[in-house]
Amino acid sequence: MKTVVISILGTALDRRGSKRNRWSKWRPTISMCQQEDLIIDRLELLIDARSQSLADIVTEDIQETSPETEVRQHIVDFTQPWDFESVYSTLLDFSRSYNFKPDRENYLIHITTGTHVAQICLYLLTETRHLPGKLIQTSPPSKDSNSTGEYQLIDLDLSKYDQIASRFKKEHEEGTTYLKGGINTLNATFNRMIEHLEQVSIRSEEPILLMGPTGAGKSQLAQRVYQLRKHRGKLMGELVTVNCATLRGESAMSALFGHKKGAFTGANHERPGLLSQANGGLLFLDEIGELGLDEQAMLLRAIEDKQFLPLGADKEVSSDFQLISGTNRDLLEAVNKGHFREDLLTRIDLWTYTLPSLRERIEDLAPNIDYEIEKYAKKTNSQISFNKTAREKYLSFGHSQQGIWSGNFRDLNASITRMATLTNGGRITSDIVDEEIVRLVNKWSQSIGKNSSPSLDITKYLNKNTIEQMDYYEQACFSVIIESCKKANSMAEAGRILFDKSRETKASNNDSHRVKQILTKYGISFAQIKNI
Amino acid sequence: MIIIDGSKGEGGGQIFRSSLTLAMCLGKSVRIENIRAGRKKPGLLRQHLTCLKAAQAICAADVSGADLGSQEVIFIPGALKPGEYHFAVGSAGSTTLVFQTIFPALAMLDESSELLFEGGTHNGMAPSYDFIRECFLPRMQNLGYCVDVDIEAYGFYPAGGGRWRARIHPKQDAPVFDLLERGVVLSQSAVVTQAKIPAHVARRELACIGRDWPLAPEQQHLRFVESRGPGNILSLRLQMQNISEVFESIGERGVSAERVAQNAMIQVQQYLASEAPVGEYLADQLLIPMALSQGGCFRTTAKSEHLVTNIAVIRQLMDVDISIEKLGSADYLVSLAV
Repeated sequence: MKTVVISILGTALDRRGSKRNRWSKWRPTISMCQQEDLIIDRLELLIDARSQSLADIVTEDIQETSPETEVRQHIVDFTQPWDFESVYSTLLDFSRSYNFKPDRENYLIHITTGTHVAQICLYLLTETRHLPGKLIQTSPPSKDSNSTGEYQLIDLDLSKYDQIASRFKKEHEEGTTYLKGGINTLNATFNRMIEHLEQVSIRSEEPILLMGPTGAGKSQLAQRVYQLRKHRGKLMGELVTVNCATLRGESAMSALFGHKKGAFTGANHERPGLLSQANGGLLFLDEIGELGLDEQAMLLRAIEDKQFLPLGADKEVSSDFQLISGTNRDLLEAVNKGHFREDLLTRIDLWTYTLPSLRERIEDLAPNIDYEIEKYAKKTNSQISFNKTAREKYLSFGHSQQGIWSGNFRDLNASITRMATLTNGGRITSDIVDEEIVRLVNKWSQSIGKNSSPSLDITKYLNKNTIEQMDYYEQACFSVIIESCKKANSMAEAGRILFDKSRETKASNNDSHRVKQILTKYGISFAQIKNI
Repeated sequence: MIIIDGSKGEGGGQIFRSSLTLAMCLGKSVRIENIRAGRKKPGLLRQHLTCLKAAQAICAADVSGADLGSQEVIFIPGALKPGEYHFAVGSAGSTTLVFQTIFPALAMLDESSELLFEGGTHNGMAPSYDFIRECFLPRMQNLGYCVDVDIEAYGFYPAGGGRWRARIHPKQDAPVFDLLERGVVLSQSAVVTQAKIPAHVARRELACIGRDWPLAPEQQHLRFVESRGPGNILSLRLQMQNISEVFESIGERGVSAERVAQNAMIQVQQYLASEAPVGEYLADQLLIPMALSQGGCFRTTAKSEHLVTNIAVIRQLMDVDISIEKLGSADYLVSLAV
């Protein structure tokens, strides 16, 4: 491998000493070629046409002191050495035109000469690998020393530096801990998701879509992403949180995009709107699936062009905001049904994260209990704790089949708040837990009852044990199957009702067969259904 | 393949160069390990690489590990070839060390060789050209080595730019080397060689010498020479019946002329305090040429690390008896029997 250095002729440093005294001065480019543990096979010397005579002296001195080194002069335009744009393009042009052979030559980029602007440009070009090498920095000898000074090589592949790498890692860990609200969560899927989100939050300003059931923590997460970005200097403005479900009709447009005075009856004052308020900051649109189609159209334009038209205005206003959307609905389905714009969806779901329900990461129940307790204690400035048996009882209930947690972390938050409020002297006892368990069981059975009400009673068709093992979704499907069979005169007819879309794409239809298969799975026949 | 542990003894560049010289002269392959182990910058430096490449050039050696920082070199010498060689060394290395590494090998051939060296000639870290010419080569003459040298330009550190030639003739038969007595002093002189530095520096050096060592005006020499860069070297010379000794001190930035003079004077005084003819620096340089000739003996003023190291290297590559016997406080008898 040959060693090739790319260096700007130092019109100040390489000129040091009058022509006669130059050997008593440290001249970086020459000293670099005299190092006892570095042989430079070729030096690419970038010079401005006005410095030709200096370049010739330097070239001659190098050839004399370092016969191994071939010096190639390149005339480049440094007429504005302190103008970033001009210097950068000059150096970029050089790097583009240079025929790098990284398999045969090692490149060192000398950053001690040239203006500071040039040094910064060399750094940037090296970091972006336009100049595929390491940096070399030379430094003068200590006072009165007769040596040729020192040099250091700097590899910008930072992963090679243990200290820096560990600091990056620490920062990354701090970021993820932050996004988790300081909760030491155990669920691997969730932790992986948060790690990913941490990197995306810091590196990207593109929209993020948070999906997940109510109470899974979407708005908390959005808020933490905001705080993290603000802490790292990625945004300056404020966090504007909007629940789209609360926006209805005419007022929705106005609330989001603002209006001019007199835009409609009652518009007595100008209103900037939430999008304008989020300028330079972050807009969190929760329940975005609830947004009306008109608002969706406006929002799409606001995201794409950072511009929108307030009600009654004749001129567009602009707002540059980062966006996080939240939804508990299947937006793809909403798109299919025509309730949600497909182009908007593709614009907001560049980074999509699905937050698991509490039930799906039940191992995180314990750390979240601790977190909620601490939060409550801080808020009320009191000492709250479980006694040991109480905590175990609550945890085992939470983990059991009964612990449905349909409202997810919102349920947990409310539950802890209730128990903490009821303590005497800040101790949550078994009695308090027992009472709370009753409350939760009631609440969840009601919600299940509510969910079950539209579908027909399936207990007549299946035994209790089987039903208990079935998801709510499966129960609903089953009730639809029963309903269809009731309506139909034959299995084939039931099949035509149940598979009305998919059967059309099949070459041959055996509708009765598909129905029979399902019924067999549940151990019930068409005739039996008809008879019940 | 003979394995040399480069970290032994002086543990620097000398053991490496001596191994190369003997490998070429004896036609033996060597593997030098742990080169400059434990040094701040371990492994081969540029000047060592220069010597290695020069050695490779004159004998078409098969070499592996010829890289900066390499701590292991395998050197398999081929056939020595006389002729004209040009070695551009640059300022970091020293032309004289390259010369000392290769001349014994070229002298073994039936034809003369003409070497041209470019780079440093007086850099303070290696014997100067003047030391080679005035002190080293006359003793080589006693051993049958016949080398004519001629300088065209001086090369000081850091500018370099020196240029000199050496014509190496086929080695003559010579008697057993014997240098036990100095003989009477025939002449003595102080020589300042200087370029691109104010003349008062050289005059102050001579004046300072004159205070400790009365020299007649004709024994004091100021040589203002042409050189690419600035430089100053003071050389004190004693010409005796059996030997000429040269003591040098290099002028450096930040070192006063008086200090430079003192450094040289101390060496002369130490030498004169002993009766041994061979000074510390010449002693280790004599050994390899002696071992390649009929052997012999000499008395020297010091048992230096370099001397001991060279003895060890020679013993590893040759079947010779070498002994050092202490005769006095600054008086050692070195005997080498082939």
